[in-house]
Amino acid sequence: MVDVTTVLRATLLGLQLGMTLALVAAGLTLIFGMLDVINFAHGALYMLGAYFGVVVVSELGSFWAALVIAPLLVAAVGAAIEILSLRPLYGRNPLYHILLTFGLAIMIEGIVVEVWGGQSYRIPAPDALSGTLSLGSLSYPVYWMFVLAVSTALIGAIWLVISQSDVGILIRASAHDTEMVDALGVDVSKVFTGVVVFGAALAGVAGVLLGASRSVNPGMGFGVIIQAFVIVVIGGLGSFKGAVYGALLIGLMTAYGALIAPSLTDLFIFALMAVVLIVKPSGLFGATEAA
Amino acid sequence: MSPNSETGANKQGQGRRTRFSGSSRRRFLVGGATAGATALGGCLGGLTGSDDGDDTVTVGYVLPFSGTYSLLGESIVNGFEMYVEQNDGQIGGREVEYVQRDTEANTDRGVSITREMLIDAGADVLVGPVSSAVAIAMMQTVQNEGSAIWLNANAGDYRVVQEGCLKYHFRTSFNDWQTSAPLAPWVYDNVADNAVLAYADYAFGQNSKNFFREAFEEAGGEVVGEVGVPLGSDDYSPYLGEIEDSGADAVFSFFAGADAVNYITQFSEFGLDEQMTQTGSGFLLSEDTLPAQGEAALGKYSLLHYTPSKQTDRNQTFVENYQGEHDTRPNVYACQGYDSAQAIDAAVADVDGTDPDDLADSLSGMEIDSPRGSFQFHPETNDPIQDMDVRQVVETDDGVDNEVVTTLDRPEIPTWGCSL
Repeated sequence: MVDVTTVLRATLLGLQLGMTLALVAAGLTLIFGMLDVINFAHGALYMLGAYFGVVVVSELGSFWAALVIAPLLVAAVGAAIEILSLRPLYGRNPLYHILLTFGLAIMIEGIVVEVWGGQSYRIPAPDALSGTLSLGSLSYPVYWMFVLAVSTALIGAIWLVISQSDVGILIRASAHDTEMVDALGVDVSKVFTGVVVFGAALAGVAGVLLGASRSVNPGMGFGVIIQAFVIVVIGGLGSFKGAVYGALLIGLMTAYGALIAPSLTDLFIFALMAVVLIVKPSGLFGATEAA
Repeated sequence: MSPNSETGANKQGQGRRTRFSGSSRRRFLVGGATAGATALGGCLGGLTGSDDGDDTVTVGYVLPFSGTYSLLGESIVNGFEMYVEQNDGQIGGREVEYVQRDTEANTDRGVSITREMLIDAGADVLVGPVSSAVAIAMMQTVQNEGSAIWLNANAGDYRVVQEGCLKYHFRTSFNDWQTSAPLAPWVYDNVADNAVLAYADYAFGQNSKNFFREAFEEAGGEVVGEVGVPLGSDDYSPYLGEIEDSGADAVFSFFAGADAVNYITQFSEFGLDEQMTQTGSGFLLSEDTLPAQGEAALGKYSLLHYTPSKQTDRNQTFVENYQGEHDTRPNVYACQGYDSAQAIDAAVADVDGTDPDDLADSLSGMEIDSPRGSFQFHPETNDPIQDMDVRQVVETDDGVDNEVVTTLDRPEIPTWGCSL
């Protein structure tokens, strides 16, 4: 009984899910591309975005304030992490970064449980975005359309910046040859901090956006980081384009999978990752020299 | 909805608490109680908790204190210890010793912890677990040792009774038949004569929807569809589409915790409220999910054995005491913990000892005066025979809350072939 309406609904959901996942995966992949750091704490930053969103909405009563302030707060946490813990370890064996960021993820989750307890919260969506939109026979929540629009706009803007602007050239150049950029007189450590801060802010935005239609709880970061890693591996480590395409692929697979075989969706996703790793170990858009 | 720092993870009761390691603890315990008897230390390992000659009751918590279910474990402990503290820190007139280990949600850990509790710590009473999978794994060990009373303060899978049928096992909580089947005739009479079933696709969700379907069809209703959703899903949109397409007038659901928040929120976002009436097991709309569900929960019906807003003197006193101590209202798990303490207190006082066989005889068929309303341990299964509240979510001054619509008078529960 799969009809057009059902498929359309799943497609919209898949795109929306994909674009929000892209916000998380983009930060992850940029940080890897620039710093060679596999950031396990990225999911925890996404979770912090949602919790900060809950606090801002309950204190200031405005979803819009939360959408701006919460990511800024997460960005500050990201800056602290980069300056205090990542920076001293650059150039070491990648294992150091994995252990460090994994530890940070556990610490952040522990702090969240201490401060907010184990129960679920939710960010109330603004009244202006309540209700559903009718598209022919399909009714779809206005808020979810909004999430799709905001995340698409953000991803589009980042794409433009990276591919067109001077900042983008600097980022790409730093990722490509850090020493050369350094030698040209650019303070690369500032670029590094900037990338971590920016990645953290993106995760924070995703946390606030999804915190309104999903439960905000201490386990939420873990689920997302797994998906984000799968996306980054499929798309190619360090590739922004790969992260976006990978996220859309996973989003749509999840949505269609729910229609066909709900219990097998995760299996399909991991099977896809396995196939990509076998056929093209560097990922769909990964640099060929990537290990 | 202001986030509060309700953790209480390390809340200490009045009794001594030990996170024991290895088998030395038991020797220490007995050695302390009977000074000069240390020479016996070497052969104490073979004794069981029931005849250790001291006047303490050792309570072993087989509960999750970390992970997804930590809130449930803490609530059970809070309820249990509140009762004990109200009774001079004693159970049946004896001092209480607590032993606490974290099961997480891990089946293997549940079994090894149970073994440690019974053999090394000499626990007289086991309280827990939260997860039914852990409970089913524990059964064999509890039966083999036969050295303690097991107060099952949450795990509600009917198979714990069907497969275990264990004389030391007393459920101070509920079984999954109770939180689903009795709602079916009520829905048929008051809501709709057709329904779609939506459930978290794991044992407990499947049991709940099966019991509801059976009872709904028996009442004359028609089940027009079933939608199973993988446990821990974030997005319910495709499933909501299926629910909508079923054209049913009512939906019965089993989801709990974060799943319940996501499902109810998105059900409301999709505007399904205008098309069908949401009903479900009480875990769908409970103390731990309602604050996050907020207005999305309004008008929805659910069935549970404990409702904090229940307007009885017994319950209001319980709620006030609990709120005074923990700054939050008791949830169903806290009530289950509290009743576990009540039950063992009465039994230990009754038999003036901790012999598990005597305690089991005393508890069998015992009537407990609970904040949920009195309940009785079924003489055949040791499951609680209890009233069930049909509740509806209504708007209140500080958000939303469950209001008891009607109380179903002690629905007769199945025994699943268990005959103690």
